[in-house]
Amino acid sequence: MLDNFATRMAEVIAGYSVGIKEGDYVVISASTTAAPLVEALYEVILARGGHPQLRLSLPGLQELYFRQASEAQLTFTPPTEEVWINAVDVYIVVEAIDNTKSLAGIDPAKLSTAQQAQAHIVNTFFGRLGAGEMRYHLTLWPTAASAQQAEMGLHAYREFVYKACALDQPDPVAYWTAFRERQERLAAWLDGKTHADVRGPGIDLSFDFNGRRWVSCHGTLNFPDGEIFTGPVEDSVNGRVAFSYPSLYMGKEVSGVSLTFKDGLVVDASAEKGEDHLLAQLEVDAGARRLGEFAIGTNMGIQQYTGNTLFDEKIGGTIHMALGRSIPESGGVNESTVHWDIVHGMQDGGEIWIDGELFYRAGEFMVG
Amino acid sequence: MTADFAPRLARVLTEYCRPVHPGDAVLISAPVAAEPLVEALVEAVLRHGGYPMTRVHLPNLTEIAMLHASDEQFDFIDPGLMAQIERADIMYTILADENTKNLAAIDPARVARRQQGQRPFIERYLARCDDDSLRWNISAWPTQGAAQDAEMGLVAYREFCYRACGLGHDDPVAHWTALRDRQSRLVDWLAGKRRVEVRGPGIDLTFSIEGRTWVNCHGIRNFPDGEIFTCPVEDSVNGSVAFNLPTVNIGQELHGVRLVFREGVVVEASAEKGEDHLLAQLDLDAGARRLGEFAIGTNDGIDRFTRNILFDEKMGGTLHMALGQAAGGAGGTNQSTIHWDMVHAMRDGGEIRVDGDTLYRDGAFALA
Repeated sequence: MLDNFATRMAEVIAGYSVGIKEGDYVVISASTTAAPLVEALYEVILARGGHPQLRLSLPGLQELYFRQASEAQLTFTPPTEEVWINAVDVYIVVEAIDNTKSLAGIDPAKLSTAQQAQAHIVNTFFGRLGAGEMRYHLTLWPTAASAQQAEMGLHAYREFVYKACALDQPDPVAYWTAFRERQERLAAWLDGKTHADVRGPGIDLSFDFNGRRWVSCHGTLNFPDGEIFTGPVEDSVNGRVAFSYPSLYMGKEVSGVSLTFKDGLVVDASAEKGEDHLLAQLEVDAGARRLGEFAIGTNMGIQQYTGNTLFDEKIGGTIHMALGRSIPESGGVNESTVHWDIVHGMQDGGEIWIDGELFYRAGEFMVG
Repeated sequence: MTADFAPRLARVLTEYCRPVHPGDAVLISAPVAAEPLVEALVEAVLRHGGYPMTRVHLPNLTEIAMLHASDEQFDFIDPGLMAQIERADIMYTILADENTKNLAAIDPARVARRQQGQRPFIERYLARCDDDSLRWNISAWPTQGAAQDAEMGLVAYREFCYRACGLGHDDPVAHWTALRDRQSRLVDWLAGKRRVEVRGPGIDLTFSIEGRTWVNCHGIRNFPDGEIFTCPVEDSVNGSVAFNLPTVNIGQELHGVRLVFREGVVVEASAEKGEDHLLAQLDLDAGARRLGEFAIGTNDGIDRFTRNILFDEKMGGTLHMALGQAAGGAGGTNQSTIHWDMVHAMRDGGEIRVDGDTLYRDGAFALA
């Protein structure tokens, strides 16, 4: 049934998501584990007249690097990174995880050092993306490790990803086009509104979004996709949330995360598991304690938590928030090298009120 | 027996062949099949204080490009790749073809067109190799494809490569240092000599080496290594050779090649298998009928013919000659688009006399 997985996926990404045109300079960043999808992308990009180039990593190298690298090595920027981020028209990242815990034993300080050293690359990336100078795309290729993380067999997991990408639809491109139109209507309704109240089991949070945009995510930047998000006004967030889902960031798992906000800042933070990691990330820079994103997941093809943010944040019936950097498209201005999405379930009666009107209840939109 | 292959090879490459110093930017270019060696190299480079940069290839992408790319796509040069080649201080190229015939069915004109398109990159790479600002090395990692060419199982072929690299010695670096010193004495003895006579089963050949240099190849640019070579004075070669080992050229295998030289030029040529190919190559240009290299293989760990010139030309107890372009560094002046090495075994009574003294007999040096 899934023999055509890589080909169908490559066609949606090249044809719908990033729309490869003749002459596009395209870098595909992937692990060699994603070889079937990389080959399919390479072929379809060539067929559309693009110039595909590869940034391939081997499964064990990142761990090896972080175990052994000195300060000077951690802060070295390979020349390709500078060139690619400044020159590419399209940057496609294929996640193909060989071991979701490969960085579990690494000193968090080393991770922060490397992160900070690459800040100028990250800034250039977001700058060019925001200015419309390049297109970016993040997708995933199913591996045994991500299946294990999801507590599934590889075959069942592959089917899960296939459905989440709507590749089982007769015409996936038509499906995603209709999906985009529906979400754009919701974003248009939210345009000009100012205040959100989020209530329900585990959450009681309010924030302003006046002057901010709600952005529809329908497969352009991520695949699979399905969310609408905004950037809360940085000092307007008040209340608390006890996240119902675990979260994985930089290879480390935290669960039972509880955050209290006062005037935009995290003033109290705890976790049942991985609290050290949470507290270290909050200290990475000044922006790490603020929300850069508030979002609603809308992909009804994703109904289960699989320990992978790319899927989890899109689960139909959930919301998520990101600590750290805003996404410029939403008008948010928070700066940080951190961008950590954490997901909360709203299926059991969670509500979102916009300017006093019930907008969303238990996974269903009440307007638009 | 070969469990420590990758770390031992990485040690020799980074400590003997092209030593890595703190601050060196080190480019590692390899197919994914060489993954164990790439990991070991990255680890060794990090340990020596260098900055590892990896360029990993997937096996089928070149074939896909050959089948589908347009001329514009052949002409596109990845600025990221150019940046890498500019920045690198050391480059380790690892050969590890999973299918040594993957381009056998491709129109040679397409292959040539792609090479032409990539010429600005190739020229920059060669210029940096020539002035030694890029310390390059080519080595190999055993694959099923190479084992199949050698008519061996992978396990036996791996052991063969291990021995060829001198990794079976307690201290491989000491082994290669001793080989370098031994060859250095031979080259010193040969300096200033004038006339070479080669006699034995299948061979009766004379030529002048007046004014030419003998070059010691001991693992700097190729690994494994083991040869000394010179360029015969172009119009001085007389006699005949009936090669007793097969030879492979542009994917064609030839047997029983016989050449007769008069005043430097091949005046008669035949082959038991592949004669058409031989005659076509000889007519390619004026330099194709002259010798561009005469060399003696010195690697006693290479004890069989494996259809891989990186190994075959270094086989202990053999000599080889190349038709065409003069090998660099010896003072030769012959020019041609071909450089075709052919190997001849000397163990059964072969002899090389230099200015009347016996230099070499039955596959071993009689001097030094």
